Amino acid sequence: MARRPSATAPPRSPRRSGASLGPLSRYGVVGVVCLVVLFPVYWMVATAVQPTADSLVYPPSLVPRSFDLSGFRTVFSELPIARWLGNSTVLALTATAITTSLAVLGAYVLVALRWRGRALFGLLLLVTQMMPEAIVVVPLYQLYSHVGMTDSLLALAMLHAAFVMPIGVWILRNAIAGIPREISEAALIDGCGHLTVLRRIVLPLVSPAVVAVAVVAFFASWGEYLFATTLITTSDRYPASVGLATLIGQLDTPVDALFSGGLLYALPPVVLYIMIQRYMVSGLTAGGVKG
Amino acid sequence: MSVGAPPVEDVHRPPRRRRTRPRRSAVAQERLLAYVLAGPILVYELVFVFYPILQGVWMSTTDQSLGATEARFIGLENYDRLFHDPSFYASVRHTLVYAAAVVVLAVGFGLLTAVLVNRAFRGRGAVRGIMTVPWAFPEIATVLVFVWIANPTFGVVNLLADLVPGTALDGGWFTSSPLAMVSIVLISTWKTFPFYSIVVLASLQTVPVTLEEAARVDGANMLQRFWHVTLPAIRPTLLLLSLLAFIFAFRQFTLIWLTTGGGPGADTETMVVAIYNSAFRFYDYSYGAAIGVASLVVVFAVTIGMLLLQRRFGDES
Repeated sequence: MARRPSATAPPRSPRRSGASLGPLSRYGVVGVVCLVVLFPVYWMVATAVQPTADSLVYPPSLVPRSFDLSGFRTVFSELPIARWLGNSTVLALTATAITTSLAVLGAYVLVALRWRGRALFGLLLLVTQMMPEAIVVVPLYQLYSHVGMTDSLLALAMLHAAFVMPIGVWILRNAIAGIPREISEAALIDGCGHLTVLRRIVLPLVSPAVVAVAVVAFFASWGEYLFATTLITTSDRYPASVGLATLIGQLDTPVDALFSGGLLYALPPVVLYIMIQRYMVSGLTAGGVKG
Repeated sequence: MSVGAPPVEDVHRPPRRRRTRPRRSAVAQERLLAYVLAGPILVYELVFVFYPILQGVWMSTTDQSLGATEARFIGLENYDRLFHDPSFYASVRHTLVYAAAVVVLAVGFGLLTAVLVNRAFRGRGAVRGIMTVPWAFPEIATVLVFVWIANPTFGVVNLLADLVPGTALDGGWFTSSPLAMVSIVLISTWKTFPFYSIVVLASLQTVPVTLEEAARVDGANMLQRFWHVTLPAIRPTLLLLSLLAFIFAFRQFTLIWLTTGGGPGADTETMVVAIYNSAFRFYDYSYGAAIGVASLVVVFAVTIGMLLLQRRFGDES
């Protein structure tokens, strides 16, 4: 993946006309793109750390005039944000655990085992991937009410897992298919069972992809709104997505407190992403996308 | 993305004569294990996805609403109403406009950013991380900040509008047409392009550098090299991503619902928003279910169309 700079980018090409973007213009374009992409994130931080009074002026100042972190205090005292974030954590971790374990098994079954119905199984997962959540939300609401599972974070996590798992299987399927078959064949001939092969040989080799699937599942559940807002109706049980959404467009929460809450909610996935970004890229693309 | 069994695997099958007794039982064991592992997954998806969908299909043939607790079978009446409902056709149109715009912009911007960081340069790793951060940024946080950025009175984006003389936008970024559609398309692009950028980048890295070098030696300029060398190599990936992007855009609910709510009027009401409105605003569950079934037909039709296009133009590599 890593390339030697000398092999690709000729910094001082003798023929200027045929060369690619000069280093300066390249940095210029990259800089502008980064600014545009990062601005909303910056704006959230800026709004959170300045007093509300400074936010309610026009024209707004692009750089905070004064710093005031009292929004963070307000959001904890005025809103059950700690509780909501806790709920989101439980919810997302549960969904991640279910998704990852089922996706590993599903992908292995799809790639490594020969059985009748395998193509159908793959097709079914693919079709699941296309279903708009909105279609199933009313029947699911009725089903959940019927069996008394509304307001349950566990039941919501299971639902989240059902909708992310097919992507997980797809990512892992590509990664597992990229393992030379001889490796697992040899272990099988040596008398290892399939489950041992999966645990001892396949999993270590595709660990970046497993991390990628876990992260995708975590983001999906942490951010999901439609199912959560339909199935969770008690404020106590709200995940942060639903809790914060009730405040959007409502004016009785001070702007700095609202954005402090938003920031606390957005931070965990962003920090997680930055920490494992390199894994992410190789994991999402391992073996895959070549056909 | 074909899910069917790759043909390669059968090459490794042991020759027939070796199918002695223990081998046969190994095959049977393998099959049993497959059913044991796939079974729970299957049941899981059936319960949480396919059962509700069938339930929805059935519901669309009844008259279930908040008032009518006892659902009565009414055949295709809901569909009859649907086909004579101008707002239904409008929602199909909004869906296709929104999805097409997001596909073009998000995949396009993903391609642009991927090309920018494909070559090694100082700080590439950091830039790659920064440019893909929106992917990790949750949708609700996205809505929160963009609703504020586009606030009619205090929104910072009004500064941009002020720069352009003669624009009297009045800050109606989400409340005037066609600006509201433009706004939700741009927000969705911001949120979704990073994923496509990552995948395109991975695909770009598989294009041999020597190919491009050869074109350079032959005197091809930057655009020619991109058009004739790079693009053909990553075309299958781009087509696959466009299909994925379409499906994701089609499913999009949160970013639209919490910014425009489908408005102004119903000008940004996509099919997904229409289902939700019908069920949770008008408590007309059955009619919502009928829109849902129609939306399945639309998403399948477009998917099949795009797969055919891919087969035609996306030379298998």
